[in-house]
Amino acid sequence: MTEYGIIASIQKYTIHDGPGIRTEVFFKGCPLRCLWCSNPEGLEAKPELGFYPDKCLGEAECGWCRRACPAPPPPGVHVSAGFDTDACRDCLKCAEACPAGAIRVWGQRYTVPELMTEIRKDRSFYDKSGGGVTLSGGEVLLQWEFAAALLRACREEGIHTCVESALHVPWAHAAAVFQYADMIITDIKHMDSKVHKALTGAGNERILENIRRLAALGKPLVVRTPVVPGYNGDEESIRSIASFLRDELGGALLQYQLLPYRKMGTEKYASLRRPYPLADYRVPERSEWEPALRRYASVLREEYGLPAVAGSGAKLE
Amino acid sequence: MEHADTRPLPIEPYDKVWGVGVSGLTDAPSPFPRVNRLLKWTRERDSTADAQRAVIVTEGYQNYAHLPQNVKWGLILRDIFTKVDIHIWPEELIVGELAAEPCSAPIYPEFSLDWVAREFRGNVMEARTNDRYVIDRKVKEDIYAIEPFWEHKTLGEAFEASLTKEEWDGSYLGKGINRCGLFVYAGVGHVCAHYEKLFRLGFGGIRRQIVEAMEALDTSLPADVTRREFYQAELYAVEGASTYIRRYGELATRMAAEEADPVRRAELERIASNCLWVAENPPRDFWEAIQLYHIATNMIIIESNGHSVTYGRFDVLFTPFYENDVKNGTLTREQMQELIELFFIKMHQLRKIRDTYAITFSSGTIMGGTALDVGGVDAEGNDITSDVSYMVLDAHAHTRIPNPWMGVRLHEGSPRKFKVKVFNVIRIGTGEPKIFNDAPIIKSLMGYGKPLEEARGYVGVGCVEPAIPGKTYGMHDSGSLNLTMILHMAINGGRCIDDGMQLSIDTGSLETFTSFDEVLESFDKQMKYWCDSMISTINKLDYCHQRMKPLPYLSLLVDDCIAKGQDVSCGGARYNHSGPQAVGIGTTADSLAAIKQLVFDEKRVSGKELLDALKADWAGYAPLYALVNSAHMHQYGNDDDYADDLARYVVDEYCRYVGHRPTPHGGEYMPGVFTVTANVQHGASTPASPDGRKAGEPLSDCMGPVHTACCSHDRCGPTAIAKSVTKIDMTQIGNGIILNWKFSPGAVSGETGLDNLIDLMDVYFDRQGMQSQFSIVGRETMEAAQKQPEQYQDLLVRIAGYSAYFVELSRELQNDLIGRTELSFD
Repeated sequence: MTEYGIIASIQKYTIHDGPGIRTEVFFKGCPLRCLWCSNPEGLEAKPELGFYPDKCLGEAECGWCRRACPAPPPPGVHVSAGFDTDACRDCLKCAEACPAGAIRVWGQRYTVPELMTEIRKDRSFYDKSGGGVTLSGGEVLLQWEFAAALLRACREEGIHTCVESALHVPWAHAAAVFQYADMIITDIKHMDSKVHKALTGAGNERILENIRRLAALGKPLVVRTPVVPGYNGDEESIRSIASFLRDELGGALLQYQLLPYRKMGTEKYASLRRPYPLADYRVPERSEWEPALRRYASVLREEYGLPAVAGSGAKLE
Repeated sequence: MEHADTRPLPIEPYDKVWGVGVSGLTDAPSPFPRVNRLLKWTRERDSTADAQRAVIVTEGYQNYAHLPQNVKWGLILRDIFTKVDIHIWPEELIVGELAAEPCSAPIYPEFSLDWVAREFRGNVMEARTNDRYVIDRKVKEDIYAIEPFWEHKTLGEAFEASLTKEEWDGSYLGKGINRCGLFVYAGVGHVCAHYEKLFRLGFGGIRRQIVEAMEALDTSLPADVTRREFYQAELYAVEGASTYIRRYGELATRMAAEEADPVRRAELERIASNCLWVAENPPRDFWEAIQLYHIATNMIIIESNGHSVTYGRFDVLFTPFYENDVKNGTLTREQMQELIELFFIKMHQLRKIRDTYAITFSSGTIMGGTALDVGGVDAEGNDITSDVSYMVLDAHAHTRIPNPWMGVRLHEGSPRKFKVKVFNVIRIGTGEPKIFNDAPIIKSLMGYGKPLEEARGYVGVGCVEPAIPGKTYGMHDSGSLNLTMILHMAINGGRCIDDGMQLSIDTGSLETFTSFDEVLESFDKQMKYWCDSMISTINKLDYCHQRMKPLPYLSLLVDDCIAKGQDVSCGGARYNHSGPQAVGIGTTADSLAAIKQLVFDEKRVSGKELLDALKADWAGYAPLYALVNSAHMHQYGNDDDYADDLARYVVDEYCRYVGHRPTPHGGEYMPGVFTVTANVQHGASTPASPDGRKAGEPLSDCMGPVHTACCSHDRCGPTAIAKSVTKIDMTQIGNGIILNWKFSPGAVSGETGLDNLIDLMDVYFDRQGMQSQFSIVGRETMEAAQKQPEQYQDLLVRIAGYSAYFVELSRELQNDLIGRTELSFD
């Protein structure tokens, strides 16, 4: 297996991705390209340089990045202009030198022991709250060997493990990781494969098949739908997901969460010089989406017998 | 996304959710219409001042000039309580005022009067944007008339005259490295009376104790001569106290006779019978007890306008009355709930005027320090929560006012049900209540000489300072020391960074230090120098209080004054302390870490270059300024031992040079680490610091991490903060700590938000964190309130040891609040 994992970020005190207080490890690299993705730094597998021009002090005043760069662009052209060109050697030294946080690296190589050192720091909080570690992304299962090794190490120390995956991967890779997972969180974005492809760049056949297999594992399972009005927020779309969950998952489903879409990550897209697919999307007001989600959740509970909730703030039990 | 019915009920379920981050922005928070009306009535009154007390005190100083100071004050108190105007206001069920009408402040010329007269003359208080007072012309004239008398007679002048030049320069009168003005222009306060004794004996019983003690004296023994003077003063004070309460009873009797409405007549009759009884006797039911409690505490403040006159453990004091009344049918639970809420409103009507400079940094406090606690353990260590504990918390949700300053004691055996109630009230976002952790506080009190059984009965007086109710008299907020200025002295040859003034001994310069150990050695010498200087200054202040401002009324209510025959200001209490605070822990730790990392470990800049950057207030050093504020640095609050070890070092140093040193009134100094708002005040006079702070910006608040104008230095969330902070041994910090948490409403909403917040605090407490308090109002809300203050009149927010109305804060404080890191996880 690979010795390193490429990790986009580590977030402590996450409380919405699994039970209790958790440390969440975001893996880099994702096979999907969801229109609403708010973690664009998780899409590419390799470390990437992000640039925040607002924070840059300017080369006249600072210029520390230029001094660190082994192949700087001509004078008058900012170092960041070279990021996406062949001239850039991906040495990341400019980010190391930047005092202002204007250049930052998304993606850091970690070994399992290095990650465990970080994870162990909040051990007492996991123990008190019934929390633990959640691996997320990006798509954690793209780095399935490393993820399995990490979870095995957590297991050995009695730390609760949770994996959040979109499941667009070969089942064997998923199974290799899930054997060390105490809980799994996945999501269904749409039941119609064509629509799914339009929304995420891929059809949903493999995902749905993997969910069926997952249900058979009998592990606590949380399924989510990010509800994006105008894309998958209509009642019919939600009802068809509900039918699938009712008919295919049996009793394996611990909770079905209808999540509101919040437009986040605009700055991150810009820093990565990537267009935000939903840049012009008007996010509905809370007073619009909140009652809608509550109503869906109640319909799904009553008509489909599903453990449906609006949001991720309800206790998992 | 919880959907709770937030309507108030007279009896609330334990898991009632009132909303998250909604603060006081609601009409009619109480289920009791009378409470809502009196809240509105109070809110609409202008704050003002009253000269009656000042005039009576002045006459007393003339009439009794020949008498010993304590006897003089006993007589003066009796005069105030006998002569001052009193009123009973519409709908009140608990009566009693501060020798002034509701929302009116008495004046205390014995401490200082010149600033009062000066601000009256200039109409300064009327022109304030926050803490505004509208003063009547007649009141001003009365003050002008007595002003000449007080020249060279005030405590303030006596204190200033006692200082050496070095002390003067180091104090708030000079460069402000130590600030100890709080007890120069006002009384000490910071005390919790022995209410159990008062409830057991009544003022009549206390008077009989004094008479007995007096009869046992033998004035052929020299010590008994001064004891006799003390008892004489006590007798005048207790007579005055009984008279004051009786006058309210007589007034209520007269008003009842003239009252046409039979319902109100019955209420007035009950008020009359309550007052006439408790003027002399122990209270028999909840209503009589809360009446006595209220007025007895007001009288402490009438005697001396000390900050943080504390109400103590409400549930411990009132549960016996509550249970008895429920059993006997004397009062219903609903009636008692309403009485608690009305009692809070009476507290909220107390006023204290402060000078215009002070209110820039410490605004919106109204009276200040009306501390009241619930929860905790009894002398044997058993949980003491009762229905009354829950009723007190509901009463805050039903009033949403910044009084009392509520504290909740938690311990290993606190019921989960109780925590759910506590944190649901916290989630409202008014900043109330704060929470205390029994284990480290009790351990710390034992380290300062209290037996376990007594330590278990502690209360937080004022902001957080732990004290044994009825037995401790401490100058608990006697000063504050600016540790960042001390670091400046340590790296700049004892000179100020900005103007180069030689303020201290020369212990070396960063230009010539060759190792980080030399930096620490120099810092250590400066710490000793400045702790000595501060303590010497406070000692002088302590003597001024002993000589000039005896407290015969308070001495009635603190053990062992009567047994010893000694005034509380002179060591009559069983436990005596003085508690100055360290300010700028985070700023100093990050500054030391920056020096260590950049100058010595990584050698990225020279000591001279860093010093030059500070002298230039970072002008011309933009990359270096950005760097010290960046994530490349080791910074306190991120569970990073590199910086956290330095924070611990800084606190250890402070405790080492302050803890257990003797106080003039016969006890020990106890160090504290909370700034209240002194971090803003100290910061205003502190030049740029190596952590990336520019001149004039606030220092770090309390135990918290740094936030500079550039950014917040804590980047890893609440678990990292909890761990960093608890690497510091808090049990040595006898005067208490504050840790401010700021959450966005989204981070603590929902079932999981509540559960995980409780668990987070449980771990912080397991790690022996001493205290926490919370701000759960979104940044957007505060920014909106700055733009449209008229829309946010009831937006109550947590400041430091207390909560206040956001729109009534100075802009400096508002910005400091907005700048604190908001922990957000949505």
